[in-house]
Amino acid sequence: MKRILSSITDGRGFDVGLVSLPLAFLFVLSGLPLVYNVVMSFQEVDMFSLGSFSRPFVGFKNYIDLFGQPETWPILLNTAIFVTASIAGQFLIGFGLALFFWVSFPGASWLRGLFLVSWVMPGLVVGAIWNWILSGDFGVLNFLLRETGVISGNIFWRSDPSYSLWAVIIANIWLGTSFNMILLSVGLSGIPKDLYEAAELDGANAFQRFWTITLPMMRSTIGAIVALGLIFTLQQFDLFAAITSGGPNNTSNVTQYWAWDLSFRQYDFAKGATISVIMIVFVMFASVVYVRSTRHEVRG
Amino acid sequence: MTLQIELNGVNKFYGSYHALKNIDLAIEEGTFVALVGPSGCGKSTLLRSLAGLEKISAGEMKIAGARMNDVPPRKRDVAMVFQSYALYPHMTVEENLTYSLRIRGVKKAEALRAAAEVATTTGLSHLMKRYPRELSGGQRQRVAMSRAIIRHPKAFLFDEPLSNLDAALRVHMRKEIRALHDRLGATSVYVTHDQIEAMTMADHVVVMRDGIIEQQGRPLDLYDRPANRFVAGFIGSPAMNFIPAVVEQDGRHLALDLGATQARLALVETVPAGASVTVGIRPEHIRIVGAGQGALDIPVGVVESTGSATYITSATQPELMVVETGRSAAVGGELIGLAIDPAQLHLFDAETGNRLGIGRAHESEKFAPRAAPHPAAATFSPS
Repeated sequence: MKRILSSITDGRGFDVGLVSLPLAFLFVLSGLPLVYNVVMSFQEVDMFSLGSFSRPFVGFKNYIDLFGQPETWPILLNTAIFVTASIAGQFLIGFGLALFFWVSFPGASWLRGLFLVSWVMPGLVVGAIWNWILSGDFGVLNFLLRETGVISGNIFWRSDPSYSLWAVIIANIWLGTSFNMILLSVGLSGIPKDLYEAAELDGANAFQRFWTITLPMMRSTIGAIVALGLIFTLQQFDLFAAITSGGPNNTSNVTQYWAWDLSFRQYDFAKGATISVIMIVFVMFASVVYVRSTRHEVRG
Repeated sequence: MTLQIELNGVNKFYGSYHALKNIDLAIEEGTFVALVGPSGCGKSTLLRSLAGLEKISAGEMKIAGARMNDVPPRKRDVAMVFQSYALYPHMTVEENLTYSLRIRGVKKAEALRAAAEVATTTGLSHLMKRYPRELSGGQRQRVAMSRAIIRHPKAFLFDEPLSNLDAALRVHMRKEIRALHDRLGATSVYVTHDQIEAMTMADHVVVMRDGIIEQQGRPLDLYDRPANRFVAGFIGSPAMNFIPAVVEQDGRHLALDLGATQARLALVETVPAGASVTVGIRPEHIRIVGAGQGALDIPVGVVESTGSATYITSATQPELMVVETGRSAAVGGELIGLAIDPAQLHLFDAETGNRLGIGRAHESEKFAPRAAPHPAAATFSPS
C-alpha cells in the first residue's frame, strides 16, 4: 500500500493516474456509446424495447433493408458531394487567405483575427444568417447575382431541389474557411524564411518557390487539415437543421442529418444506428490519415 | 585583375536605423574577403545586400561590372551559404544539389551528373539519397557548400557558415573552405564575428563597426598597423592591452598611468608633448623579466596555462595580460618585471581612438597577393 502511494506521489503511478483519467472519461462518454451504437445496428429496436439492452439479434438485416430503400443512394451521394465540395471550398479559400495574410502588411494579424468570427459562431446562428442571405425573394445573394447580371430570375436556394444542397455547402464553406486559414497560417509560419531566401538565390521565381518549397513543406499540415475537414463536415448538423432540414424531398439530406431524422423523428433507432456505423468507418479512416500526417512532420 | 564586386557609397536604412553608412568596397576577382565585426555591425546586412535579399537605400552596387541595385536575387548569379545551411528538408542531398539546375531547366541526366561530380569533390557521394535530417552538422555544411559550388556562381557569399559547428570541426572546415576557394578560383565574401577565422582564411579583411568600415586590408597589415583602437582591440587574440598615458615634455617618453603605480616607456618616434594617448601593447610582445629589470613591475594575478602558452594577468588596475610561450615560473602574488620593445608599441589618440603616427620597424614589407594555391588545396580531403 505504501509502495503504491509513493509511486503515485513520485513515480510512474502519477503518470498512469494522469493518463487514466482522460482514458476513463473517453471510455464512458465515447467508447461505450460507440459500442452500444454498433450493437444496436445489429438488433431489432422499437419504442418498446428501447429501454432494455437485450433485444432480438437480426444480423445484417438493418443494413440490407437500408440499402433497399430508394433514398439511401441519393443521400450517400449528397453526403459525398457535400463533403468534397465543402472541403475543397474551405481549403482553397482558406489557403488563399492564409497566403494573403502571410505577406505582412499593416493590420494583417488584426484582420486575420476578424476572420475568426465565423468560426466562433454557433452553427444555428450561422444558419439563420444564411437563411436571410439565401432567401429567394429578398435575399442579398440573389440581389447581387441579379444586379451583376449573372442570373435573370430569383433562385430559390433553399426550396429548389437543384440548389438546396448547395445552399448548405455555401454556408458550410463560409463557416469552415477561417479554421482552415488559421491552421494553414500556422503551417506557413513554420516554414523557415531562409529556405525561401536560398531558393530565391538558387533562381526560383515566386511560382516555383510555391511549388517546390511551400507545398511540399505544407504536406503534413494539408493532410491534417483535409482529414479534420472530413471529420468536421461529416459532423455538420446545425446548418442542415437551420437551412433546409434535409429537404425538399431529401435533395439536401445527408447521412448525419438522416441518422438523426430516422432515430429521433421516425423512431427507427436501428436504422439510425446503422447509418452511424457506416459513418464511423469513414471517420475512422480520416482519423488514421490525420494521425499519420501529423506524425510525419518534415522538418530539418 | 578585374573587379568582381564594387560598392560605392552604399547606405541601408531600416526605418530610422542607419545600418550601413557610406560603404565603399572593391573586391577583385578571385579574392577571399572576410567581413568581420561584433554583432550588429552591419556585416550580415552588407552580405545580404550583395545577395539581393536586402535592398540598399542609397549608393551603387556592381557585380561583375553590372549594376545590381534593382536586380532580384535570382538574377544576380551569386550563391550563398547560410548560417543555418537552409537545406531543403523535404529533398534528398541529391535533390538539394540539383535544385538550382532543375529550376533553370537543365536536363535531368545532366543535373545528376553535375551533382555526382560535385559530390565526389566534397565527399558526399555516399550520402546522396539521405535527407538533411539524417546528416551530421559537418555533412550538412558540406551539402550547403556543394549546393553553392554546383552553380559556378559569380561570387560565393558565406554568412557565418561555421558558427553551428563544434570547435574542432570549425578549424577543419576553415581549411576546407579556403582550399575550395583556391581550387575554384572563385570570389568569396565571408561574414564572421570570429577574427581568427577572418585572419586565417581571408586575403582581405574588412573590419566593421556600427555600419561603417573601420579598416580594411591584408590580415597581417591589420594586425601590425591597426588604424584605431577598435581594430587594435578586435584583431588579435588574446586582445591587446590598453593603458592610458601622457607624452612627456621631451616627446620621446610616455608616462603610463597604471593607477597606483607609474611607469615610463621610451618611444621610437617623436610625438607632440603633453598629448593624452592610449598605449596598445599586444600580450605576445611583452617579455617577462625579473622585478625591477623591465619597464614596469606588476603583481601577478591569474596564471592560465594551455600547455603551449601561459596567459598571465596582472592584479593591477588596469589589468595587463602577458602571453609567455611554453611554461611559466610566475605564480600568483609574485612581483614580475615587464620588458616592452618600443618598436612594438601602438599609440592611439585618447579621445578619437585614432592611430598616432608611430609605425612598426618592419612595416615596409609588402606581400604579393597569393598567387600559388593555398597549401591546403592539395590536401583537400573531406573526412
